[in-house]
Amino acid sequence: MKMALRNIAAYKKRTIVTVLLTSLTTALLVFTSAWMDGSHQTMIKNAVEIYPGYLQITGREFRDKPSYDHLIFDTAAIREKLARIEGIAVSAARFESFVLYSAGEKALGGMLTGIEPEQETRLSRLAASLQSGEYLEAGDTNQVYIGNELAKRLKVGVGDEIAFVGSGADYSFAADNLRVKGIFQTGLYEFDASTAFLAREYFEQIMAAENYATHIIVMPEKPEQVEELAGKIGRAIGPDYASESWLQIMAELVKAMQLDSLFGYITLGVIFIVILFVIMIYTLLTVYSRIREIGVLRAIGTTPKQVFGMLVLEGALLAAVSVVIGGLLGGMIAYYFHINPITMAGFEEQFKQYGLAVSAIPTAFQPVTIVRDMLVMFILSVLSTLYPILKINRYRPVEAMRHV
Amino acid sequence: MRPHRTGMMILLLTLLPITSFADEAAELIRKVEDNLNGKTATMTLTMVVKTKRAERTMKMQSWAIGNDKSFIKILYPGKDKGITFLKLDNSMWQYVPRIEKTIKIPASMMLQSWMGSDFSNDDLVRESSISEDYTVKLLDETDDAFTAELLPGEEAAVVWGKIIMEISKQYYLPTKIRYFDEEGTLIREMAYTEVKPFGERFYPTEWIMEPKEPEKEGHRTLIQISDAVFDDQVSESYFTKRALKRYSD
Repeated sequence: MKMALRNIAAYKKRTIVTVLLTSLTTALLVFTSAWMDGSHQTMIKNAVEIYPGYLQITGREFRDKPSYDHLIFDTAAIREKLARIEGIAVSAARFESFVLYSAGEKALGGMLTGIEPEQETRLSRLAASLQSGEYLEAGDTNQVYIGNELAKRLKVGVGDEIAFVGSGADYSFAADNLRVKGIFQTGLYEFDASTAFLAREYFEQIMAAENYATHIIVMPEKPEQVEELAGKIGRAIGPDYASESWLQIMAELVKAMQLDSLFGYITLGVIFIVILFVIMIYTLLTVYSRIREIGVLRAIGTTPKQVFGMLVLEGALLAAVSVVIGGLLGGMIAYYFHINPITMAGFEEQFKQYGLAVSAIPTAFQPVTIVRDMLVMFILSVLSTLYPILKINRYRPVEAMRHV
Repeated sequence: MRPHRTGMMILLLTLLPITSFADEAAELIRKVEDNLNGKTATMTLTMVVKTKRAERTMKMQSWAIGNDKSFIKILYPGKDKGITFLKLDNSMWQYVPRIEKTIKIPASMMLQSWMGSDFSNDDLVRESSISEDYTVKLLDETDDAFTAELLPGEEAAVVWGKIIMEISKQYYLPTKIRYFDEEGTLIREMAYTEVKPFGERFYPTEWIMEPKEPEKEGHRTLIQISDAVFDDQVSESYFTKRALKRYSD
């Protein structure tokens, strides 16, 4: 041990280079995984919270066959059951329908959705996405809250009139004139270009949809326990309905994120292999330059095992020091950007494709991940010193001493 | 020159049966279309839309010239009374008295349900141009019926991947039409029954549309034609955008 320490001190150049390389690599790994996790979490959080919500209740077959035949026909009864379940912060019923909007000469297809304005503010970002005018409130009549792109396409502003024709829940003909109360922008282009909202009471009247809903959205008190809650709700409301968390609803997105992480790790892997080879070669060189010293050690009676132990210990100590430095460094950077999210002004367009409404991305500061990354780096860097050490130990003392 | 001409003759003779055969099939479909459309037609229709949960009945009046121009007015139920539709060539407009508005139905809405029925807007506009958009092949011929297969022409912007039409030899009218998508899945089935004479013309007075998609299980639309006048004078005044509002009440 002493000797290992002394050697580390003695071979300053090697020590500095190895520590530098390893710690920088560790910092890179720690930061990159924090960044990847962070951006993925941000994307998912955004995608979930803007509109879909953490947990959706629908008619059993509604997701596969979204027709008026598979609605929730007794919203009040489900609400009562939900009231008895713990862990629900708030729930809101929605009725989504496809209609034809018309303003002036323009006519376009889009979604008209009845919502409960107050509950909705607590589980989606609809109200917060207000751009101009006002958000809806309970008891509003023919006042509509409309996506900015849809408003643009219909060429209407706050206070203007738009008409719609569509099908009521009983498939009967439905039509009305609506007045624009507010315009929102969530940043999800498709959504903003197709959707408008009415307060639920009025919607139910004109669409013959009393007590019906296409969705009931549930906000869990603890979003991370949403799976568990979905199961609990599912059992309470029975087999006629489906209760699904965002992990199922947005399975595509979750999968895309996982794939993206995988590619990220592959790229990182390639970088690491290169860096580890550098460390390995460097260790090889330094160890070779010490062949004579090792030969002398062997000649004075040190066993190969002890030499091996000493060299590995040197490597391990160096690795440990570097990993700690790197981990701290990377962790600090990750923490800094966790507190001060990286903003990528100018990349909003690209982000929109991922359904990312904001351009500020905090990194994920997760000590567990950092420790994991540090461990990975430690093991890898010790491994990379093993080969040269094993190789040198094969020399016989006399050979080694004569080695130039 | 002589041998050459003989060659041409042989070529023509060998080609002739094929072309005339294809022509015959196309001719058949055209005849069926003419029988369905008439030069002009005025009808009173009752439409019963059945879904899993409910059944609704609507009554309407229609005026048509050939297959390019038609005008439909809803008579019943009271809340929908006065809604009018105008079809000119491939465009469609709608007037809704409740909102006092004439709306041109955009192309993107063409596949949407018409008045909550199992017919789409596109059916009202397009149905008639089958002989132009599809190429016909006779699949089968029995003593009293033909079976024809219609495949979309390369350029045709159509909804269906394939249509199989059964045609009665007695009236040269369709008895059953099956519509398939591009993957060859049966999407819906339309039956024409209860053929009755109207003047010199025979016409099916019951049309039943049954969608076959799983999400429309239990849906059915029945159209009954209660009285019809064919080939009489129909006023051109119905076929303008102004007519939508004018004939609304």
